[in-house]
Amino acid sequence: MSALVPPAGDGGVTAPVAGQTPGLLRRSLATGRTRAGLAITMLVVAVAVVGPFVAPGGETAIVGPPNASEVPGLLFGTDVTGRDVWTRFLHGGISVLWLSALCTLVGVGAGLLIALLAGYSRTWVDEILMRTTDVFLAFPAIVLALLFLAIFQPSAWTVILTVALGHAPRVARVMRSAVLDVAGRDYVRSAESMGLRRWSIRLGDLLPNVTGPLMVECGLRLTYSIGLVAGLGFLGLSGLAIDQADWGLMINEGRTAFTVQPWPVLLPVTAIGLLTVGTNLIADGIARAAAGTDREVGE
Amino acid sequence: MQVNDRRPRTAGMAVRGRPRRRDVLRGMAVGTGALAAPAWLTACSDESTSGPTASGEPQRGGTIRMGGAGGGATDSIDAHKPVTKLDIARVHQLYEPLLIRDATFELVPMAAESVEPNKELTVWTARIREGLTFHDGRPVRPEDVIATYQRILDPKTTASGAQLLSFLDPANGMRKVDSRTVEFQLERPSALFLDAISEYFQGIVPEDYDPKNPIGSGPFAYESFDPGEQSVFTRNDEYWREGEPYIDELVIIDFPDDTARVNALLGGQVEAIESVPYGQISTVENNGDFTLLTSESGNWNPFTMRVDAEPFSDVRVRQAMRLLVDRQQMIDVVLVGNGAIANDIYCPGDPCYNDSLPQREQDIDQARSLLAQAGQEGLQVQLTTSPVAQGIVEAATVFAEQARAAGVDVQLNKVDTGVFYGDDYLSWPFAQDFWGTRSFLAQVAQGSLPGSPFNETHWEDPEFIDLVEAAEREPDQNKRCTLIQDAQEIEYDSGGHIIWGFINLVDAHSTSVAGLEPNVAGHALDRYGFRHAWLAS
Repeated sequence: MSALVPPAGDGGVTAPVAGQTPGLLRRSLATGRTRAGLAITMLVVAVAVVGPFVAPGGETAIVGPPNASEVPGLLFGTDVTGRDVWTRFLHGGISVLWLSALCTLVGVGAGLLIALLAGYSRTWVDEILMRTTDVFLAFPAIVLALLFLAIFQPSAWTVILTVALGHAPRVARVMRSAVLDVAGRDYVRSAESMGLRRWSIRLGDLLPNVTGPLMVECGLRLTYSIGLVAGLGFLGLSGLAIDQADWGLMINEGRTAFTVQPWPVLLPVTAIGLLTVGTNLIADGIARAAAGTDREVGE
Repeated sequence: MQVNDRRPRTAGMAVRGRPRRRDVLRGMAVGTGALAAPAWLTACSDESTSGPTASGEPQRGGTIRMGGAGGGATDSIDAHKPVTKLDIARVHQLYEPLLIRDATFELVPMAAESVEPNKELTVWTARIREGLTFHDGRPVRPEDVIATYQRILDPKTTASGAQLLSFLDPANGMRKVDSRTVEFQLERPSALFLDAISEYFQGIVPEDYDPKNPIGSGPFAYESFDPGEQSVFTRNDEYWREGEPYIDELVIIDFPDDTARVNALLGGQVEAIESVPYGQISTVENNGDFTLLTSESGNWNPFTMRVDAEPFSDVRVRQAMRLLVDRQQMIDVVLVGNGAIANDIYCPGDPCYNDSLPQREQDIDQARSLLAQAGQEGLQVQLTTSPVAQGIVEAATVFAEQARAAGVDVQLNKVDTGVFYGDDYLSWPFAQDFWGTRSFLAQVAQGSLPGSPFNETHWEDPEFIDLVEAAEREPDQNKRCTLIQDAQEIEYDSGGHIIWGFINLVDAHSTSVAGLEPNVAGHALDRYGFRHAWLAS
């Protein structure tokens, strides 16, 4: 991953300005891959955000017999307790979206903090932080999440913190190598020699120059967050009220009757699948753009 | 007072019968012989199976594999402490109590030939069936019967039936009269004696019983048992019912997952399954190779309001909550139509069941006004729910939606089964549970008295207690019924249960399996009645 380090203005004495991020985004947007990803993601986000306002009924209203795939007036029939599947689908995306977004934000933020601290300390702090993250890396993210949700009562915040806790060590590991790479550059040495505080070097010189891998990590962790949040929703651990519409929960409720009434499962599965593919395509596009830049500079 | 096999249900105290009675009845439609069967028995007795079933003379031989729900590493094969449904299925094969409630909820003799009380209901005399033997060939003696109840009453056993037999002194309460007769001296007169000994967890075992080598007098003998996986039973050639069992071997397989269980049936890995998930009923129904076996029952999954906890300590709040429920919608949605409307009182199969009380209907206006009188407008309550049985969580969801109509905010607190039955079990202010089919007095002993092991609603009404105690002492059936109906009316007016429906059991088997009939006793697959099931070639 250290190959993904962004341009560094070789030999320059002043730190390059944090101006590459828009450039990176623009470059990545030039590829069809990113554009397709963005289109798919925007589509699902639009459904989730606008959905609750255009849904034909209340998300908890019982409108027909349970698990009926053909009910007059209903687009996709009813779910396990006779509620309109289409209405619940339109209501059920927003929780997955904001939970995954917050998980990503907190997780990547924490990981970045660890990376900046560890990658630019060259002392025992680095050792302790990285060995600790190694321990966490030994557990699959879902196992960690289940462990913590078994200990603490599931609520939106515990879900965000546990999923973020799974992300942080992975982000930290990748970002640390990016920071390490930048930390040895001349403009950092120059800043050090000017007597700048280490934290202002971290934020002013190191951070702006690792935005490439950071963007990639954001996209990647968002993809994983969506999967994890939906998975925890499926297991009934997302901390939401059980009668609230939620894509993950819908899949779980609908699964026993899948052969009779597939829509309560198919709709959210398709949406979650599309969202995951979309965010992954974007992350991939950014990664390629960043890698391409790197090659240009290196050669 | 006296009942024999030709006059079912007319008196209900003593029980006497001959071995072949069930066979005679089985030739006719089950239940047609019942003279005073309650409405819920007769109403639907002929719509209970769908799809083709093999008919004709029973054939011998073969193996039936049954897929069961639940079960796990803590599965047991102990005669006296079955917990999971699969434990219950196994107990029914290996052991038999002195009496049992049959497919129409009548008491019929099993290990006993007759059980009769004295006038005061203090002394009961049981006569063991002639020639009855255990699986190892030893005869069933009065010593074995006495040892069985002593084992059940020993606190070290932690048997399910100890509480029910509280009127029996294990040391001095039982006496061998002759080689086939046992006399029970009760510490108080009790009409509950027959119900207490007719539960499936009161099976007769040998004096030297060891659950590691489980021996009983049931239709099948022990072959092997792997907890959480499967158990195998072989035909008891010396079984007392002539010709039964018809099959040579019975395999009971654990399927913790609902979908896997149905798929095993559809794929031919098992011949019969219990509890078809409601969502999959139509899948089985539309397949000509399988038969649905639907049994009406007195099973009920109530909402439980603690009468000593805010806000339910105010009787008007309890009444309002009961008026919020659209019972028909509950049946239609939660049970997918497989149930009957209930009236906030339990035990519809009891001959004394009070069916003169007006059916309670949804009445939002009345509920609102009761809540206003109680100063609880805009009431907010937390309902603790858990997937402890099929449809429980769905019922909570539907109730929350129905309550919304009256401005009552029901917050659903869904917890794991382990948490539900954990430290807070029996103290949740507002929760749910599931109950089986019993007679009224037996049910009250289990759940509606201050000393009951599962008094979820903390129900402790002095007038109710007096009526129940009087009913238990009362030898005359008519007088007893009056007392019971008065007690039920108190629960109808001010009790802590919301009882919205009685649940049908929906099981399924391959069309090659014959002999399984609807059974109102509240256990799956004709009360796991594989002794009279047979395989058509």
